[in-house]
Amino acid sequence: MTKINLSVKVNAKDYNLDAVRYAAYAVSDAAYVFIKPAVGCVVVEFTPKTAAAKNVSARFKEELKDEKLRASIFDANRDLREFMILKALAYEEVPAGVRQEDSGLTPEQEKELDDLIAQVEGEIKKESAGNKTKDPLGITRTWEEKYGSKNGRKKK
Amino acid sequence: MAQKTAAKKSKKMTSVLPQALWRKIGSNYLLTNDSGHHAWLKEKDFALVTAGGMTELHPLFAELAVKGFIRNRLDFNDLAAKWKKKNAYLNYGPGLHILVMTLRCNHKCLYCQSSAAGVGDKKTDMNLATARKSVDFAFNSPNPGITIEFQGGEPLLNWEVLKGAVEYARKRSGTAGKELKLALVSNFSLMTEEKADFLLKNEVSLCTSLDGPKNLHDKNRICSSGNSHSDTVKWIKYFQKRCKKQVPEYRVFKPSALLTVSKYSLPRHKEIIDEYVRLGLEDIFVRPLAPIGYARKLWGTIGYDAADFAKFYLKSLDYMLKLNRRGVVIREKMATMMLDKIVNLQDPGYLDARCPCGAAIGQIAYNHNGDLYTCDEGRMVGWEGDDIFRIGNVFKDSYKKVMTDPVTKVCVVSSNLEAQPACARCAYKPYCGVCPVYNYEVQGSLWGNIPSNDRCGLFKGILDTLFTLLKSPGNAEILNKWVTK
Repeated sequence: MTKINLSVKVNAKDYNLDAVRYAAYAVSDAAYVFIKPAVGCVVVEFTPKTAAAKNVSARFKEELKDEKLRASIFDANRDLREFMILKALAYEEVPAGVRQEDSGLTPEQEKELDDLIAQVEGEIKKESAGNKTKDPLGITRTWEEKYGSKNGRKKK
Repeated sequence: MAQKTAAKKSKKMTSVLPQALWRKIGSNYLLTNDSGHHAWLKEKDFALVTAGGMTELHPLFAELAVKGFIRNRLDFNDLAAKWKKKNAYLNYGPGLHILVMTLRCNHKCLYCQSSAAGVGDKKTDMNLATARKSVDFAFNSPNPGITIEFQGGEPLLNWEVLKGAVEYARKRSGTAGKELKLALVSNFSLMTEEKADFLLKNEVSLCTSLDGPKNLHDKNRICSSGNSHSDTVKWIKYFQKRCKKQVPEYRVFKPSALLTVSKYSLPRHKEIIDEYVRLGLEDIFVRPLAPIGYARKLWGTIGYDAADFAKFYLKSLDYMLKLNRRGVVIREKMATMMLDKIVNLQDPGYLDARCPCGAAIGQIAYNHNGDLYTCDEGRMVGWEGDDIFRIGNVFKDSYKKVMTDPVTKVCVVSSNLEAQPACARCAYKPYCGVCPVYNYEVQGSLWGNIPSNDRCGLFKGILDTLFTLLKSPGNAEILNKWVTK
């Protein structure tokens, strides 16, 4: 094995060990990589396999930066991705003949419409709740609300 | 009015990148996702997207939103449908069933991956009982479409059994209610009019090997008669003639040919393509050589590295595009299959580049004695004395046992790109695949070491070329035509 001649110190506050490992794997075509713990950091040592290992430490740093970005995107999307794949696995195409007509709206417009419907429904509910007080004859109340259950009355 | 308000509101909305993969090519970034969509971004736009700073006012916003790269604009149904279409093979069992009719061959090709035996070695012939049992086994697959491919050695050396297997498979498909495709891979040197008639009447599609002009073909494909090229060309022309004169009773398929690129082919891409065009072949499969089987022993003489192949592939593709611009119909098969994934977001049935790979769950190789292997490459490893990829025997094992065999499972696990650290992070993951047999033969483990894996380098080279070509509208127009159904 060729003598170790390259090493990089990685601050443990900036990068977690997973990112260091993945970045190390990415350059494993050019060098054997040894990851050693140290105080507040890890020391990454490279033992070149080929002549292409000349710039291995620069490549490693690039990979490390890239991996940090990947990890943050992966973490932010883990649940979403699992949901998407589950949805895809369970997805069944609706035959053309029974396909519902497209509303022609974008997802945002659909959402806005749903919000609007919910808002209107809420207002109707509120209004009807308000009218309750203006219903001295109890017209909007059900039979049961007014007189209780049929069985109950019979017993009386 | 409501739409205007919605648009006004969302102008302030910033993009957040959902799960995506990227690769820097030159000064640009290629962005891809699980559904198979891709987009090109300049460095500053990539930084903007990944920082969550792209607003609806940005000229790329709409394109990125449609392709599923804007988290708050995801169309779940559309993306789920695309993902499912792209990975449709996950719902079926093996569709390709390779029956090795014999290991005997009258050729001694320099690179032979089929590990052929001598012409007199009849003990490597499949008998009719094994052929029938193999056909029965193939029909156990839940796949609604079954392809039975007759291979060798040279399968025509075991003609009577081949004939019996074709008849039996056709009879069997009538009762099984499955679509059956039959294919023969032959060097055509033993073809006769009588055999050709039988094959065409039974709708067997025919594929041969053609390595280019005569002196190159005969150098690679050494035949006892010394006339490999002449025999191949004669029968390609014959089958093309029959294809042009279709009859109402049966369909006659166009013959096809496979090119195996040896070291000797590397400086001769134009001559090779011209030979295909001259013979009226519209597809050319620029296949790299794999150091498996006999080729492994001769790798120093006939092999090359991924960079050499990538150069050859780029030059070949470039020349084919030039010919297409002149109105010549010629397509490259590997590109066509990759483009089907990139452009049409669908699986072309290419078992070597999918996740998990086709080993056992997409294809099965049936050896002459009824032994079952994950694939033909796995069978070749077995012929060299290492039966690691053997998954059973048609006489002894049930379909269920074969599908749940530990070897089947380990091939699935090791070719799952999500479990390959380098692949899981690669922008080409939605289009690519690893080969456990290659990894085992070349790197000594089923998982291999992908960063130093030459097959990976080769696929990256091909995909780099294709994506770069697609950026130019002129090239894209031609390439899109190759996969227009």
